Amino acid sequence: MSEEILKALMQLFALIAKQDVGISEKERNFVENFLKQQLNESTVKEYLALFDGFISSDREKNSENTIESGEHRLTSVKDSVKTLGIAKKINRTLTQKQKIVVLVRLFELINSDKNFTPQRMAMIDTAADVFNITREEQLAISTFVIQNDSNKADIPEILIIGCKNAFLEHSHFIHSPQLDGKIFILRIKSVDLYFLKYKGDDEVLLNGLPVKSNRVYLFANGSVIKPAKGKPVFYTDVAARFITDPTGLHITLRAENIYLTFPNGTVGLQDINLEETTGKMMAIMGSSGSGKTTLLNILSGIQTPARGNVFVNGKDLYEQKDLIKGIIGYIPQDDLLIEELTVWENLYYSTKLVYKNLSSEQITEKLEKVLISLGLFHIKDLKVGNPLDKRISGGQRKRLNIGLELIREPSVLFVDEPTSGLSSRDSENVMELLKELTIKGKLVFVVIHQPSSEIFKMFDKVLILDEGGYQIYYGNPVEAPIYFKRIDNQINSDIGECPRCGNVNPESIFSIVESQIVDEYGRSTGKRKVQPWEWANFFKKTQKTELIKESFRELPDTSAKPGWLKQISVFFGRDLKSKLSNRQYILLNLFEAPVLAMLLAFVIRYIEDPSSGSYIFRENDNIMPYLFMCTIVALFIGLIVSAEEIFKDRKILKRESFLNLSRSSYLYSKVSILFIISAIQALLFVWVGNSILEIEGMFFEYWLVFFSVAAFANVLGLNISSAFNSAVTIYILIPFLIIPQMVLTGAMFSFDKINRGLGGGSEKVPVIAEIMPSRWAFEALAVNQFVNNEYEKQFYTMRQLESVFNYKNVYYIPELKGIIEQYISNTNRAEKFPIDPLDIELLYHEVQKENNSEYVSFHNIVFNDSDKLNINDFNLEVANDLKLYLDDLHEFYRQNFNSINRRIDNLISEKTSSPEGRQSYQSIYDMHYNTYLARFAKNTMAPLPMVRLNNKLIQKIDPIYLNPQNNSYLDFRAHFLAPVKNFMGGQVPTLYFNVGVIWIFTILAFATLYFNALKRLVDYFEEYSILKRKNNKN
Amino acid sequence: MKKKTTLPLILALVAGLIISGCQQNKRQEATDLLYDSKKEGELFLHMDMVKEMISSVSNPVEMSSLLQKAGVIYSQDLLNPAGNIDDYNTNFQRALNLGVYGTNLVYMNIYDRTLSTLRYLSNVRQLAADLRIEQFFDYETLNRLSESSRNIDSVLFITNTGFDNMSRYLIEQDRSNIAILISTGTWIESLYIATHVQTIPGNRDYINMRIGEQKKVLDNLLLLLYAYREEPDFNWLFEDLMDLKKIFEDVKISYVYAEPTMQELNGVLIVIDNSMSEVIISDNTIEKIANKVAEIRTRVIG
Repeated sequence: MSEEILKALMQLFALIAKQDVGISEKERNFVENFLKQQLNESTVKEYLALFDGFISSDREKNSENTIESGEHRLTSVKDSVKTLGIAKKINRTLTQKQKIVVLVRLFELINSDKNFTPQRMAMIDTAADVFNITREEQLAISTFVIQNDSNKADIPEILIIGCKNAFLEHSHFIHSPQLDGKIFILRIKSVDLYFLKYKGDDEVLLNGLPVKSNRVYLFANGSVIKPAKGKPVFYTDVAARFITDPTGLHITLRAENIYLTFPNGTVGLQDINLEETTGKMMAIMGSSGSGKTTLLNILSGIQTPARGNVFVNGKDLYEQKDLIKGIIGYIPQDDLLIEELTVWENLYYSTKLVYKNLSSEQITEKLEKVLISLGLFHIKDLKVGNPLDKRISGGQRKRLNIGLELIREPSVLFVDEPTSGLSSRDSENVMELLKELTIKGKLVFVVIHQPSSEIFKMFDKVLILDEGGYQIYYGNPVEAPIYFKRIDNQINSDIGECPRCGNVNPESIFSIVESQIVDEYGRSTGKRKVQPWEWANFFKKTQKTELIKESFRELPDTSAKPGWLKQISVFFGRDLKSKLSNRQYILLNLFEAPVLAMLLAFVIRYIEDPSSGSYIFRENDNIMPYLFMCTIVALFIGLIVSAEEIFKDRKILKRESFLNLSRSSYLYSKVSILFIISAIQALLFVWVGNSILEIEGMFFEYWLVFFSVAAFANVLGLNISSAFNSAVTIYILIPFLIIPQMVLTGAMFSFDKINRGLGGGSEKVPVIAEIMPSRWAFEALAVNQFVNNEYEKQFYTMRQLESVFNYKNVYYIPELKGIIEQYISNTNRAEKFPIDPLDIELLYHEVQKENNSEYVSFHNIVFNDSDKLNINDFNLEVANDLKLYLDDLHEFYRQNFNSINRRIDNLISEKTSSPEGRQSYQSIYDMHYNTYLARFAKNTMAPLPMVRLNNKLIQKIDPIYLNPQNNSYLDFRAHFLAPVKNFMGGQVPTLYFNVGVIWIFTILAFATLYFNALKRLVDYFEEYSILKRKNNKN
Repeated sequence: MKKKTTLPLILALVAGLIISGCQQNKRQEATDLLYDSKKEGELFLHMDMVKEMISSVSNPVEMSSLLQKAGVIYSQDLLNPAGNIDDYNTNFQRALNLGVYGTNLVYMNIYDRTLSTLRYLSNVRQLAADLRIEQFFDYETLNRLSESSRNIDSVLFITNTGFDNMSRYLIEQDRSNIAILISTGTWIESLYIATHVQTIPGNRDYINMRIGEQKKVLDNLLLLLYAYREEPDFNWLFEDLMDLKKIFEDVKISYVYAEPTMQELNGVLIVIDNSMSEVIISDNTIEKIANKVAEIRTRVIG
């Protein structure tokens, strides 16, 4: 209190005291006592002299004028004006709470000699009016100060503690049977202040200090009243009587025998018990590493204990999680804010996720209210930013975090170190916010480290943990130092707080708990005087089980949250907004694809003819590598855009897991945003790349493939971002995901030339490559580019037939004939084994294939004795028959080859017969056909056009013209670059089939994401390795 | 959840089925092509006759020996530019120019023009592939051999056998027309180089003699081409060569028969025609032939 204020107060006291009857001894004593409370001995005298001065100066004037009552009246008017002036002065400097205290003191002053003259009362009224204190509260204060009879003090603002309940209609009552007299407690609702007054003869202690009868004390947060006999009364007991939860919700939380052991074997928590109910704020304290946060996690249901239960209104927290989850709120130590959004938007989306039925006006109203109460309204349009790029202060961030929960109003709130890193002013603000919640009937658990006295006293209860997770104290905070001092046999052990300043030093608790044995030189030995388990034993012995009436009421319905679709749209909106507000992100993502495309396409835009300056698509040997790069770029871009998405949201997700929101809606919204980004990137990439390379008329197909791959990569990226817990790990992982896909596209390394152990060189694409989306994408692009370009389209069907007939005519039938001829000559030379059994198998196999060929219906050349194609039945006769059969077949293929070859030739001749026709033919050819790609697709670089694998002949040339042969209905596997894929009895063009496969991969990846399969796997391995390490140690 | 993931799957399936329906139509078209082919008429000439006549036309390697003997001066300008290959779209053009490029290849190889050889080799291979007779060129081997001038003989040998085998195969496959065109191309290009090449002055007569001898070869070629003269492109070729024949009529050949002998030349067995033929050809005729053949060749190489 400043000098000026004190002076003003003295003046005010003097003014009121001297009215009418003048100052009495009692009044002067009161003033003296009041000053003694505030000041030291010497200054008390100084101010008392000042007070006396004010009294006497006025009295002199009065004594001159006391003859006429009219003049007397005049002076009191003058005094009133003076009062008004002083009150106004006070108004400017004191808070509302302080003003209430001043008013209480004024009443006390005149109550000290019970001279309630109208003049005095009028003065007080004037002051109260200037202080903006309502009539009701004035009345309540005067009733409280003046009345000592419980019947007369029967108003709702007053609570009476006494031995018998005199039928009170309005006031509250706490029964304390052995108390002599009564304790009155007044609550001023507008500022949440409590005053205490004792009328009786017992020794009653307030926070360890004796209470004088009939004096008014401030009854602050965390205070405790101790009668000489009987149970102490705590601040919260009092507060709880006054406060009735507007929702009428009554929640109890009971934890029983909680034990926890960490995976590495260290003990986390040992036998923790606690029980709390609505309207309380509980602190969990302890030295670092004693398991505070772990306990908080267990109580909130994030972690499951090894043993023990937590019941909320009698319902098991771990078994009926879904029922309870919605009423629990959790504020972790780290920020839960979305950096890119403003203060307002952060709150706005949170609100949208919690309430489905609020109109936007209602939301605005609600948010404004919360922001004002948080003191954040003026910064509502600032971006939150991150701790490095500070936009709002640490205290504001913390308050905003709490604000997120304030909006939702969960019944039980868990807060992890809300004050860490905040200034003491900010800390108090934050704690006051939480305290307000308890007044609204919430139950709040706070892990707190080194609280100031002020904050420490705010708690209703404190639970202290010691190293190794022992519970060594659970009870009133002010009592805690007393408890430990007593065990430690310290002097003054009954005084919890500093008698002069009222401070409670929580640090003193820990210095007792952790005090170490010192050796004879006074050096600490590092060994503790009292071991944690000893403290725990002390505690168990002294613990008085204080039963709380456990509530079994139904839990509130938290289904006010929006529906699945609505959630998607809120998540979507939130994500979109945060992305859009990050200009760097948007620009990078928007330019990444086209810039890469430009770079790539420009570099590989090549003119073959050194003497020519004009670009011809047909001659660009880099188209095939371009297709390959398209798939790789798509993978990269897709992965990178998504790799940090869920990781970044981790903390927010942790909080939102209490909202019972649907994970799928979160994921769907994520995925939709990423898909939109990828679709745009695909559009830009393909547009730029294809324009530069002059790839004509394939825009949609390229886009589709690029987008599909990027979409797959998006979901893959989400998987890793949800499974791994650091950004570095995620980025280290990316090469592992990309490089195998690069290697196994079939573009860099031919599938014919990869390790045979992995399926290289076989008929179909190796299985290991089948699981690479990049291979499907590249194949789709390559096949589509070759088959569906404007040039090849004109001939493709004919060329396909030509290719089939050519293969059969040139390679296939001659090979079969060769085997038979070998047999015939071997037989003629009477060799013992004229034919290799494998050759017979091959003949059988291939003849069967020919018998079932689609051309049989045209040529009707069938080999009927194929059942004789085995090692026992095969003989010269069969061989000759087979030879004749093959001759016929050969003739058919030869003729048809010639015919189709001539037809193609005629078609081309026709097209090129006129100069214009020739020109247009040539330009289509130049613009749409690519020679190098064609060579790749026709596999003309293959060392062998046909290979023999055991009992099969496999065509290696012209894969692009070869339709795959499949035996079973669902067998979709084919050779690389097959133009179509067989599926369910039909044929699907490779482009669409492959895109379908990529989307199936995407859906599978989404499923693993939904079920968090990768995360579970990673966790499993981590646990496994820890166990292994432990076993090794043993 | 389940419902939502199956939806795209169903869509993909539906799309797939629709598309496979389209594919079915395409197949239908393909079988139409097949059906027609059976009705088509075939073959104009007897296989053995064609084989015999074609073998009388000089193959690229024969020309090489001619040029080597004549000591001609290499000129890049005489070659059909390698880039022209892009203009050859029809079998007719491809076959003729396969002959042309083959001849060029041999011509170049004699003069160790390794760098250009690779392009011509690739062109020969490309045209053969387009004609679907790629199996006669082992591209990898040829490529490897072309890297060093010491391997010229092998390259020539493989090229030569490649051409021979190709012709035989084509005839057997009822594709005599292609075989005839390849030979015609070879012949025209050889004649063109022979008539336009610069030689050491004393050797000109030798070359002129060889040119005159082509009169008979041309007769054989025309006989073969006659069978196909009704076809659109063959038409002009036949007519042009007929014009050439008229010029050749001024050439007089008197023939003295002697038993032919076999001789190994660079590892190749060749038949040496020991019959003496005396060729009388005027410079004027040579010039006329040179002009005409240049005109035909221009048309051939497009």
